[in-house]
Amino acid sequence: METKSFPGVVDSLDSLRDYIGELSKRAGLSKKSTYSLKLAVDEIVTNIILYGYEKVGLIADYVVESEITDEQLTVIIKDEAAAFDPLAKELPNQEDLAKSLEDREIGGLGIFLTIHGVDEFSYEYANGKNCNKFIMKVVKP
Amino acid sequence: MAFKIDTVLDEQVARMTLVGELDSLSARVFQTEIEKIANQPIDYLVLDMEKLDFMSSAGLRVLIFSKQKIGPKLSIYIVKPQELIIDTLEKTGLHHSVTIVDQYPV
Repeated sequence: METKSFPGVVDSLDSLRDYIGELSKRAGLSKKSTYSLKLAVDEIVTNIILYGYEKVGLIADYVVESEITDEQLTVIIKDEAAAFDPLAKELPNQEDLAKSLEDREIGGLGIFLTIHGVDEFSYEYANGKNCNKFIMKVVKP
Repeated sequence: MAFKIDTVLDEQVARMTLVGELDSLSARVFQTEIEKIANQPIDYLVLDMEKLDFMSSAGLRVLIFSKQKIGPKLSIYIVKPQELIIDTLEKTGLHHSVTIVDQYPV
């Protein structure tokens, strides 16, 4: 298990994605899986920073825990914001996704991309922290 | 990688070249560029994405915002987006509302 902490500000997203890229490389993920994981983590952390921290004036870090095995890369993001389960939110359905840009709601796509981009995504609130867990399987050549 | 955006206005065509990574921080810069041209008589928004390496939903939201702000007759062209960005556009159904091209003028 490896742990790395980042300041809870949007300026950290760039280095967060670089770090996820580095973990993915070590785990042997494909270019597409690496991109999908970067996107999923970026989306969840953006929500944590904008709504969990900035909106309520909370200044705090978030922590990335990771584990690499032969089969998979596991990334867990832990934050100190109020409990928020991304899976409890209603996601856009096929009808919403077929709408033209003029009729679209502005939000809701981030969590949709997260859930549809990784092999497994789960959430729990434990010890006063939100824990968002992402798993990407390593596909053997 | 740092985000850069360049805008060229030529009559009713606004051409923007996006370079780097488009996340929730850089999407604010992109949205400001759109707001700057929103009161111009623009019919075509051409977004050159050949050197854009990453786009999160914050970037998608600016695409939606562009159409809603500039008006329904606006046509959006995306020039040479990378494969993984096309994948995001397809997953979210936005590829139905924009035209993906290899070059512009087509």
